[in-house]
Amino acid sequence: MRPAEPAAGLEREEARVAWRLVLPALGTIVLVALFPLMWTLWESVHLHDLRMPWLGRPFVGVDNYLEALRDPRFWSALAHTLLFTVTSVGLELGLGLGLALAMNRGFRGRGVVRAAVLIPWAIPTVVSALLWRFMFDGQTGIANAVLVNLGVLRAPHVWFIHAWSAWVPVILADVWKTTPFVALLLLAGLQNIDPSLYEAARIDGAGAWRQFRYVTLPLLAPAILVALIFRTLDAFRVFDLIYVLTGGGPGTSTEPLALYTFNALLQNLRFGYGSALSVIVFGITFALALLYIRLLGADLVGGKR
Amino acid sequence: MHVRVRGLREWALLLLGAGAGCGRAAPTGLIEVTFPGSVVGAEGTVLRRQLGRFMASHPGIRVVQRETPDAADQRHQLYVQWLNAGASDPDILQLDVVWTPEFAAAGWILPLDRFSPDTAAFFPATLAANRWRDSLFALPWFVDVGMLYWRTDLAAAPPATFDQLDSIAQRARAERGLPYGLVWQGARYEGLVTTFLEYLGGYGGRILDGNRVVVGSGAGLAALTKMEDELYRLGIVPPAALTWHEEETRFAFQNGQAAFMRNWPYAYGLMQDSSSSAVAGRFAVAPMPATADGAPTAALGGSQLAVNRNSEHPEAAWAVIDFLTEPEQMRERAGVVGQFPTRVALYDDPGLAASLGIPPAEARRVIERAVPRPVTPVYTQLSEILQIHLHRALTRQEEPADALAAAQGEMQRLLDRAGLGAGASGATR
Amino acid sequence: MNSRSRWPVVVVGLLVGASAFPFYWAIVSSFTPEARLFQAPSLVPTNLVLDHYRALFTERNFWVPIRNSLVVAGATTAFCVTIGALCAYALARLQFRGKSMLLGFILAVSMFPQISVVPPLYLVLRSLHLINTYPGLVLPYLTFAMPLTVWLLVGFFRQLPPELEEAAMVDGASRLRAFREIIVPLALPGLATTAILTFVYSWNEFLFALSFTLGPERQTVPVAIALFRGQYQVPWGQILAAALVATAPVALLVLAFQRRIVQGLTAGAVKG
Repeated sequence: MRPAEPAAGLEREEARVAWRLVLPALGTIVLVALFPLMWTLWESVHLHDLRMPWLGRPFVGVDNYLEALRDPRFWSALAHTLLFTVTSVGLELGLGLGLALAMNRGFRGRGVVRAAVLIPWAIPTVVSALLWRFMFDGQTGIANAVLVNLGVLRAPHVWFIHAWSAWVPVILADVWKTTPFVALLLLAGLQNIDPSLYEAARIDGAGAWRQFRYVTLPLLAPAILVALIFRTLDAFRVFDLIYVLTGGGPGTSTEPLALYTFNALLQNLRFGYGSALSVIVFGITFALALLYIRLLGADLVGGKR
Repeated sequence: MHVRVRGLREWALLLLGAGAGCGRAAPTGLIEVTFPGSVVGAEGTVLRRQLGRFMASHPGIRVVQRETPDAADQRHQLYVQWLNAGASDPDILQLDVVWTPEFAAAGWILPLDRFSPDTAAFFPATLAANRWRDSLFALPWFVDVGMLYWRTDLAAAPPATFDQLDSIAQRARAERGLPYGLVWQGARYEGLVTTFLEYLGGYGGRILDGNRVVVGSGAGLAALTKMEDELYRLGIVPPAALTWHEEETRFAFQNGQAAFMRNWPYAYGLMQDSSSSAVAGRFAVAPMPATADGAPTAALGGSQLAVNRNSEHPEAAWAVIDFLTEPEQMRERAGVVGQFPTRVALYDDPGLAASLGIPPAEARRVIERAVPRPVTPVYTQLSEILQIHLHRALTRQEEPADALAAAQGEMQRLLDRAGLGAGASGATR
Repeated sequence: MNSRSRWPVVVVGLLVGASAFPFYWAIVSSFTPEARLFQAPSLVPTNLVLDHYRALFTERNFWVPIRNSLVVAGATTAFCVTIGALCAYALARLQFRGKSMLLGFILAVSMFPQISVVPPLYLVLRSLHLINTYPGLVLPYLTFAMPLTVWLLVGFFRQLPPELEEAAMVDGASRLRAFREIIVPLALPGLATTAILTFVYSWNEFLFALSFTLGPERQTVPVAIALFRGQYQVPWGQILAAALVATAPVALLVLAFQRRIVQGLTAGAVKG
């Protein structure tokens, strides 16, 4: 039997327990990730070009950032990244939701279908990128064969040498690969919705659409939020997929920010500039996450019980 | 031998895995040296064999092979990561020809002059590509040169000029129904620059003149316009080639779909295998064509061996490098993998002909005329600028003249900004 | 929800079919001889060979990377879900200052492009002598998979009725026991989902695995596949065969976990 304690003591006790529960996770993250993050920030305010050590590593303040802002290739990369993010995340959310809703109904073999649907996601990104490049190859690709046979195309189209059409396999590859992730996430969220709420709504005379809009969507909002945040985070940092599929080409028309950063950092050995680009990516992703939370997840952690 | 080496390797790898940072003189006083490279295929086999022979004749040194990606970009990334962290292994580095000045300037590899390498025996062009600030930083292991593969059943002799090549290609397409006349590597990567370099040299141009960027000259424009013509007006190069790397072009030629191919020597042996090649016995190699203003040009590629500056056993590392670049080892590699040796004297040996696909005398001429890419630490970035503009011009996003002018301007600015625009010794041409 | 229409089946059918086609194509290609891979495609293959699969297990010893991937992904998932569950529980159901900041910080860690984190992370791991070891991979993975785990579990835990553990605690149980015996069983579907997502996330990871391992005894499946490439040559057939072989364990694991979710649902109706 617990003796009665003043409220403040109870609160402190709870906070102590809470921090002890949080510590393992926080500790791991801090131990492993803090140094890299600090290092990146530190490098971003220095001029550090590994190819020319005689230039030293002078402090240059925001020069790297200004260089990025004045660099047309940076702005193109940003535009490409935004285009990719908006399109693929939008498609994934829509398709994922549809898939989740359909799988939510009980039917035989649901487990197998779920496992089968997850397989594209389980294939390593590099391999699925190669697969899609294969399929969209100008001469030997199955995509051209199918489209020409269906009469959609008059002749085989060389997808990867036109800026606009090079995006098609890129986005298709990403949507194919990660819609399962979104679908599974949303499915779990759907299954947490109390069926009796739908009963009540139906008794009130609500049809399928109204049930969806007023029961499903609001209760699914937390799951949608998580899906949106993590998919946006990943899409904004897309690298492997585009590197293998188009290499950023034709020219630089499909080059996203992360590829440009890789190029600056590990190909041109400009650690200062590359780090500045990374911090910019971080900043934009952070802002986007904040935006999502404001729109969708006001009481994410609950200020009150 | 195979089993013995394998056992040693497992044990050595375990040691490596146990502590990356510990001193690595094994308890018995053996010096351990790490050699990164491919362990797959014929190359892996011949390398293991040669290293085994080395260890037999140098009982105090054990060479451990570390598997690294063959893909140049990935290998470069790993090297940068390791060397930037000051790792003492791998002791030996296998460098692409354009990495030497970059790694030398960064202070990651040792100058080799103190080991008194036998420099007179190697091709001067290959050595020049490995010199930075008048010191030799890597030894050329094998050399790659861009060449023209041509179908002996479609032409009596290899074309000497671009125009000749065009007409033969067009005739082959019209009369024999071949899908492609000519294929080269046109994706937006280093291969595009090597291809362009060969056209450029054929028109008498070059990328750098001293420390000035002159790629936008008349010759440059003529070369780029010719490439564009072949794509669109003449139609002998498929637009898909603008997404192709070496392998895609090889398959196109190997499946009998092209009359000509520009590629490296590696393809020769693979295409002679009649079980998978439709053109086995029906093709030959020749230097790239040229015009009256220029000369047949081959881009110089290949692999070099260097010593990690932080290596704990530089003498042992040098011993391995010295051994691997001996004539006997080079001859063996040529025989098994078809890689061109870098020692001039070997080309007097008629026995080399079977391995190389072209008569040794001719190969020697091609190598002696080979053009290295600009020898500067910022070459990767320079090349990137050029690649982007070349690719934009060839995919018709830019006019050739504008593309080259823009490329020239950006490249010059980069050189100037890096303080390499003037007085940078090592930039040979 | 009684379905009067057949639309859900149609939708699932179409999506699964569209999703399966590239997979089918991969399977067909993995049985096609190398030379034919670059010729005109045919939907129904005529000439099937086992060459690529044979090469996988004789020349390349592909069991080893599969084992490594299983160990690394498995360990990451196990740690992430346990450590992350504790953290998420505190964030979801306990009161203390700084919750939002903590959640934000955990997320912020994974907002940097992976590639830019590699050089400094390599320095850290090297100084801890963890290069080319299992912990040397699991630790970075933990850091970057944990945000997903924590955020997902916070959501799942918050959906449970708020006073659930009060009853047990009034009876004298510690909070940790209440967590273990009451919350966890009810949140099992959520935990299973999180485990699956985390597992596949780690399974897929390439860049860290490439950068922090040195040799075949610790390299994971994506890295091993990437190393199939020669300087110019890309053995497509083997690569596709390897990828397909590698997805089999994942698919089986997922299937096993799926049953857990369904069981968890039908076993105890969640809310009243």
